[in-house]
Amino acid sequence: MTWLVWRQYRVPGAIAVALLAALAAVILADGLQIASHWHSVLVACSGNSACLQQQGPLVNGVVSDLPYLDLIVPAVLGMLWGAPLVAHELETRTSDFAWAQSVTRTRWLAVKAGWLLLAGAACGAAIAALTTWWSGPINAQSATAFTPGQFDTQGIVAIGYAVFAMALGIAAGTVARRTLPAIAVVLGGFIGVRLVISDFLRQHYLTAVTTYYTVGGSFTPPGQAWVLAQGGVSPTGVVVRAGWGDLEPALPASCQRLLPALGSGKNSSLNPVFSCMQAHGWRGFVTYQPASRYWPFQGIETGIYVLLAAALLAVTYVVVRRRDA
Amino acid sequence: MSAMSWVVWRQYRAQAAIAGALLAAFAALILVTGVQAASQWHSALTACTAAHSCGNLANSLFLGSHAVGFLVIMTLGVPVVLGMLLGAPLLAHEFETGTSQYALTQTVTRRSWLAAKTGWLLLAAAVIGAIVSVLVTWWSGPDNALQADAFKPGRFDIMGIVPVGYAVFAMALGITAGALLRRTLPAIGITLGGFIVVRIVIYFLVRPHFMSAVTSYFTISRGFTLAGSAWQLAAGFAGANGQPLNLPQATNGPVIGNAAGIGLPVSSLPAQCQTAGHGYLPAIASCAQAHGIRGYVTYQPAGRYWAFQGIETGIFVLLAAALVAVTFAVITRRDA
Repeated sequence: MTWLVWRQYRVPGAIAVALLAALAAVILADGLQIASHWHSVLVACSGNSACLQQQGPLVNGVVSDLPYLDLIVPAVLGMLWGAPLVAHELETRTSDFAWAQSVTRTRWLAVKAGWLLLAGAACGAAIAALTTWWSGPINAQSATAFTPGQFDTQGIVAIGYAVFAMALGIAAGTVARRTLPAIAVVLGGFIGVRLVISDFLRQHYLTAVTTYYTVGGSFTPPGQAWVLAQGGVSPTGVVVRAGWGDLEPALPASCQRLLPALGSGKNSSLNPVFSCMQAHGWRGFVTYQPASRYWPFQGIETGIYVLLAAALLAVTYVVVRRRDA
Repeated sequence: MSAMSWVVWRQYRAQAAIAGALLAAFAALILVTGVQAASQWHSALTACTAAHSCGNLANSLFLGSHAVGFLVIMTLGVPVVLGMLLGAPLLAHEFETGTSQYALTQTVTRRSWLAAKTGWLLLAAAVIGAIVSVLVTWWSGPDNALQADAFKPGRFDIMGIVPVGYAVFAMALGITAGALLRRTLPAIGITLGGFIVVRIVIYFLVRPHFMSAVTSYFTISRGFTLAGSAWQLAAGFAGANGQPLNLPQATNGPVIGNAAGIGLPVSSLPAQCQTAGHGYLPAIASCAQAHGIRGYVTYQPAGRYWAFQGIETGIFVLLAAALVAVTFAVITRRDA
């Protein structure tokens, strides 16, 4: 069976390896350049943090979009490898032949799906490893490894995404029995699940930490923390988000009177308003996930996708077993 | 309705219904959140005008939601999805299942069979691309006014008329790949890879040169702000001979001037300027000015936005036309 899988997939495998090699070459060449740039910045700034923050972005041009390419690689694997795995056999009726052999149907499925899932996981791991290395200096400069978008392309989560997309493709192809609809399901389903989990679920994996400080002061969570919300909160629980766009209606009348002075001259500041807010019991707040939770979050997210993949594979197994050849 | 158009409708009515439903859902989402963002923008503008503090509005105001903003960026992928799911199987699926033998041996000539199928599909791609672009352009209106970044790569690519060109090109690429390879899956792979490569090459290497860029010089002490939604290509400092100064990648020392966020390190100035006025920065700046050192910004002015949209759309429509011509040549010469 393993030999059969090899014969069926040696061309797609060779194409994938060639594309990965090309991507690796681009990322390595660019990553070395970024690393040397960052090193010279570190030397020139010699530990002055203000100097480090004044430096422009480390990446420019087309390579800065590479992480976005990483986001779609799992979906592509699921569409081009996962969806046809069973559907193409059913469509071309080669399943009639494959399922009438001495090898049992479940073993046929287990070996095919097993190798393809392994290949998907390996592709995801290779791309995640390259991107994590490439992002090193950017993480060090801007401390953004935990923020949505960066989190999704680094560490181990990409392996979970790849395994899930592949399993989604296999399951959709088995249920729909046709390749093209299965490809569409993978595309829509993968994007939908990723959006829901990254936008709504991820921030609740562990209860966020909220730190209060004096209004007008500031507090920055240390390291690569993920800031979920910040601003000011009144004693009665009225929240004004940072940027202070909707500050005015939330303030007590005595503090509102201090606002129109704003912008009348260059020296105007929010300080009198902040003192007034302080007197009325307002506090500044930052709600965040601390930097130390980065790897627990990576683990939880990967675990969710691996579990989803396992559920999809169970569905596939049941459908293939019960279906007439 | 001609006989062939009827065949195309029968073959694609399910896909058309799905595409229509998805478009309607997207439109509803965009309209609801767009009206919210517009009213937020108007009230913020009224408030800051009253307080004379509109200058920092771009930093403090965030319009819309992250999820919808992400969805809007994702519309970059709409053309290639059309090409992969509708374009690539158009001919490849007929060859794969052998239905081409039936279709190509009817009284309808191959040419009109192909013309009807590709014509309707290209039209559908253009219409879908146009609808998505109209929605995104309208939704981005307040944000464009706030950030003045409609000309920047990434924003330019999802608004105006270019999405129509991308959609027509992606569809033609899918059809041609299917005609040449005669198999759906490899054609889908080629469509995806080819579309990404062509888009990257044109936006990264070709687009900055559609028209020769404008370079503005300015005195160091004054600084310079681009008018409107201009597309900045480069910025820095130039010596008296007009050659850009070679600045160090980082400096811990004092800095004068500001060219679009780039400072001029005092250590890069001629020796006598570095010690001018015992390190008093305005004195150093006037010494540098006396040596003919100026700031520069190279950019495409905001007034060229629609010219660039037209050129980019034209390029992709021409590429699509070439691909369709290849498809006609291949299909009319091939044995059924």
